[in-house]
Order: sequence, then C-alpha cells, then structure tokens
Amino acid sequence: MGKMRKLLSKSLKPLTLYALLVLMASIPAYYYLVDSIWQRELDEHNQIIAYRTAQGLNRLHLSNEALSESIQLWNTIQPGTNLRRLTGTLSRPDSTYTVLRQNPYTEQKDIDRFRGLSRIIQIHGSSYELIIETNIEETEETVAAIAIVTFFFFLVMVIGFLLLNKRLSARLWKPFRSTLARLKTFRLSSQSPIEFEQSDTLEFEELNDALSKLIAQNISVYASQKEFTENAAHELQTPLAIIKNKLDLLLQQEPLTDRQYRIIEEANRALTRITRINKNLLLLAKIENHQFDDREAINVRLLIEHCIEQLKEHFDHKKIPIQTELTDITIEGNKILFEVLLNNLLLNAVRHNREYGNVRITLHPSGIIFANSGSSALDGITLFKRFGKLTGPNSGSGLGLAIVKEICNRHGWQVSYRFEGNLHTFSVVF
Amino acid sequence: MKILIIEDEYELAESIAAYLSESSYLCEFAPTAGEALNKIEAYHYDCIILDIMLPDGNGIRILEAIKRMDKQDGVIIVSAKDALDDKVKGLQMGADDYLTKPFHLAELAARIYSIIRRKQFGNANTIQQSELQIDLLAKTVSVSGEPISLTRKEFDLLMYFMGNKNKVISKSTLAEHLSGDFADMLDNHDFIYAHIKNLKKKLNEAGYGNYLKTIYGTGYKWER
Repeated sequence: MGKMRKLLSKSLKPLTLYALLVLMASIPAYYYLVDSIWQRELDEHNQIIAYRTAQGLNRLHLSNEALSESIQLWNTIQPGTNLRRLTGTLSRPDSTYTVLRQNPYTEQKDIDRFRGLSRIIQIHGSSYELIIETNIEETEETVAAIAIVTFFFFLVMVIGFLLLNKRLSARLWKPFRSTLARLKTFRLSSQSPIEFEQSDTLEFEELNDALSKLIAQNISVYASQKEFTENAAHELQTPLAIIKNKLDLLLQQEPLTDRQYRIIEEANRALTRITRINKNLLLLAKIENHQFDDREAINVRLLIEHCIEQLKEHFDHKKIPIQTELTDITIEGNKILFEVLLNNLLLNAVRHNREYGNVRITLHPSGIIFANSGSSALDGITLFKRFGKLTGPNSGSGLGLAIVKEICNRHGWQVSYRFEGNLHTFSVVF
Repeated sequence: MKILIIEDEYELAESIAAYLSESSYLCEFAPTAGEALNKIEAYHYDCIILDIMLPDGNGIRILEAIKRMDKQDGVIIVSAKDALDDKVKGLQMGADDYLTKPFHLAELAARIYSIIRRKQFGNANTIQQSELQIDLLAKTVSVSGEPISLTRKEFDLLMYFMGNKNKVISKSTLAEHLSGDFADMLDNHDFIYAHIKNLKKKLNEAGYGNYLKTIYGTGYKWER
C-alpha cells in the first residue's frame, strides 16, 4: 500500500510548488515593470532639467566669454550634466541611453547605472549639446529587492497554507470522518442501518446518500437470504417427516428380505443426515437472528462434565479414554449455545479419532482446549466454513464447526485449530 | 384407546394413523383448529397429537381450550419448529410432551404409550407383561417378583419396546431415540447392540421368555 498520507497534505505539495513557480515568474515581470517606470520617470526628470537649463542660460543674457565661463563652471560643479558647444547650428531629436559607470569616488568596484539624455539646445543662437545623466537603480539590486519581497510573501503563503490546511482538515473533513467512524462500526449481521450525520457539503451528502442506499440494499439482500435459508429449512421439515414416517411404515411390511431392510436403513440414515443439516442451518439462522442473545452465568466445568457424561458411551465404544483437567470457572454466555459448542467439539473428538486413541480436555480460566489423536493435519481455513470440508461417507452435516465458530463470534471468543504432536487441537479462548 | 390427530398435512396424519391402528388405537383426524375444537368438546380422547402450526391458527389456542374445558386428554405437540420457547410454552400450557418434526413413528408411539399410562393409572402405574413387571414411577423392573437392575438406557429401551410391541424397530431408529440429536454424527450405531445384548441377557437370566427378537440382522421386535 506504500506510505499513506492525508488527502490535504497531498494537495498541499503541488499547490506550494505552483505558488513557487508563479512567484518566481513574477520576479522578472515585476523587474521590467519597475525598471520601465523608473526609466520613464527619469527621462521626464532629465527633460525637465534640460529645459530649465536651456531657459535659465538664455535668460541670463551673458556675453560669449561669460557664457563659456559659466558653462565651464556649470560643467565642473554640476555632476551628471555636461554642456558642450557645437560648431554650426545643428538640430536632431533627443536621444536617451543607459550607461554603466564605475563610481569615481571609491576605489572598490562600484558600478553605477545611469540614465542619460542628450539634447541639442540653443543658447543665444548657438547650438549646444546638453547631456544629463541621472543615477538609476542597478538591475541586480532591483531584482534582488523584488526577489526578497517575493520570497517573503512565498513564505507567508506556505505558512498560511499549512495553518489553513490544519484548520480545514479538522473542519472540512469532519462530516467525512463521522461517516467513516459510523461505517467502521457497521455490522451487516446486526441488520440495523446507519444514520449518517447531516452535512452541508454536497459531496459528503452524496457520499452519505450513496452509502445509505448501498447499506439498505445489503441489509435487505442479507435479510432475504437469511429468510430464505430459514424458510427453506422449515419447508423441508414436513416432506422429511413424511419420508421418515413412510419408511417407518415400510419397515412394518412383513416379511421383508434382509436386503430390503438394509435399503430402508440406509435411506433412514441419509434422511437423518439431511435432517441434521436442516436443523443446523436453522440453528445458524437463529443465532444470526439474535434468538440466543440472552446471557447467564455458566459453570463451565459442570457443563463439560454433563456433556461428557452424555457422550461417554461413544468414547467407551471406541475405547478412547477421556482425560480431563478442569478448573472451576464461571463464564457469562448463552447456555444452550455453549452446550451446542461443547457437544460439537466433543463429537468431533470422538468421530475424527481412532480406536484406542485419546482425548484430552483442558479447561483453564482463559479457555478450553480439546485435543484428540489424529493422523494428519486438517485445513485450518476451510475447517470452520459452512460445508467447507465434506469428504468421506461419514462427514456429518458440514456445519458443526461453522456453528462453533458462529457461537464464538457471538460471544466474542476466539476459536482456533492446530495440529501438533499428532493431536488435532481445538482451542476456544474466552 | 382413542387418539385425535390434529394435523393439516394429510400424508403425515395418515401415516401416524396407519402405524397406531395396528396397535389397537382408534385414530380420528382433524385437519383444522376449528374441527379439532369441535371434536375435543364432543368426545373424550386418550391422547391428542397436536400440530402446533395449523392453517387456521396457532395450536396453542387448542391447548388453552383443552385447559378451559378441564379435559384430562393427554397432549403431544408435534412441531416443525424446534424453538425452545415454543416447547416451554407448550409444556407450561398443559401439553404432556413435545416432539419435533421429523420424528420416527416408533418414537411417537412410545411417547403416546407412556402418556396414556401416566394419565390413566396415576400413582399405581405398573405394567404387567407376563411375568415381567415394570413400575413406571419407581423405574424398577422385576421378573416373577425378582427385581432386576437395569441401567437407565436399558430401562429406556424396555419402555420403548413396550410402546412398540410387535413392531420392527431398526437399529438407526433406536440410535436416534437413545442419542437424540447426535445419532447421525456417530460413525456407527453398534453401541445399540451392546445395550440390547445386556437387556436381553438380564431378562433371560431372570427367567423371562425370549420376547425381544432380532430381526433382519440389525432390527429388533418385541413379540408378545
């Protein structure tokens, strides 16, 4: 099955990855946006300065010497601008550019980025080239700043996801968990449908609805199957009774030949077997129908002794001594069923045994062990199934151990089989 | 001896009657509860065989009516239901015995026999069979006044034969009688042979005639 994770944790990972991708893709986008706004603003700024410079110089009405002195002074004290006289009258459109330059005031490597404007201005009829450069944030600095902010928001997002996840999984999945918890306690054999908690989530309501329908259907199929078994078994009783009585009458038709007598006897024995299968099916149906649900205190030792007493002659007949080791204990259970359980196990111990074999019954406070001599191990899985092992001419009803198991289930006991030391060993743990 | 068979299944009722008639019982039928009530009211029966599931109502109703009428008829309930509470309820309502279908006719005959004995002879209930004397209450047996000791199962078998005189009883029928529900679970029914052998031996040693015959190898018959 692999490692199991919660559904919300499963969706968290791709969501986080997607958020990371989107945020990373946003970094260049933000950079280009910020950078172009910067450049536009700086271009505007440079143009205003160029315009003011030209106007200011024109308004001064300086002589040519004074003008060139002023320009020189201007160029010296005003960093980032440069005014240069051109020969002749020239006219060309403004040009803008970006340039990287080492910071002249420091020895370290410090490249600054500048946005420049080159414009031809006219002062007293002469053409000058005015260059204005303004410092602009470097690319890597902008990118770094945006990346830091983006990463911060990414962190905020992930933490938010985790917190939300925790809260959501508690709240959103609550109806689902309640449904699951109720499903887990559902037992088909108890025949009672589940009432699911109402939910305002469409999917969960659909789920509950579908489950309710499924369960109702199962219950009805189970009930009709059970009813069928019970009815079939019941309906069989009368024809079985008729056959049995007719055989009884046939037996009185003297004189019979020995062969005719044997045929009647064989038919009789087969009939007894059908009758038992029928009765056992009915018993199983009744156990499942809770017709044996009342409990009482049972003195186990006394009951075992009583059952042994009833069947002792059959053990004697096969020359099988019964060894017992019985502790005095009392358990809570249905006495009729418990007696059926003991009889079935005892009968198995005598039937699936050899002459001069042995049987040991041990009763201790936590359970009973029936061990009897045998030749080879039986299939421990099919053993307890209905009609699981029907071989040989004298295989009984094929339901004895299924009934034992059902009785144990009803009481919450464990029954198991193992073959050790040439002993068929059945143990019931209370 | 008059017997009323209250049973809606004709084949069953007819078989019961056929078996019992040979033993000098007079059988009448009532396939419905209504007919049964009319007959019970009008006549006296030594024993009533009552199928508890009738088409026109639960047989328990008939039991109640018998009780109301203060009738002393013996009642054996026969039912396809092997439900313990039905059995308890039936016996509490005054039925004398309860038999689950399917049953052997010999089993029914044996039970009818002991019910009639009990009902009619009360405390002084002794069966005299030639030189054999059986005290039903004390469960003792004597031959020509000489008591013989029988095991519980031997006594049980003897009573079974008393109820089925001149009938062929097969080994498997006896096995079902003695071991009840477990008969078919047993590999063989040879244990019957041991009980019969002992019973015969004890009777013969006490000087009782050989009335219990072996027939067809493994069948038995009490001839009188």
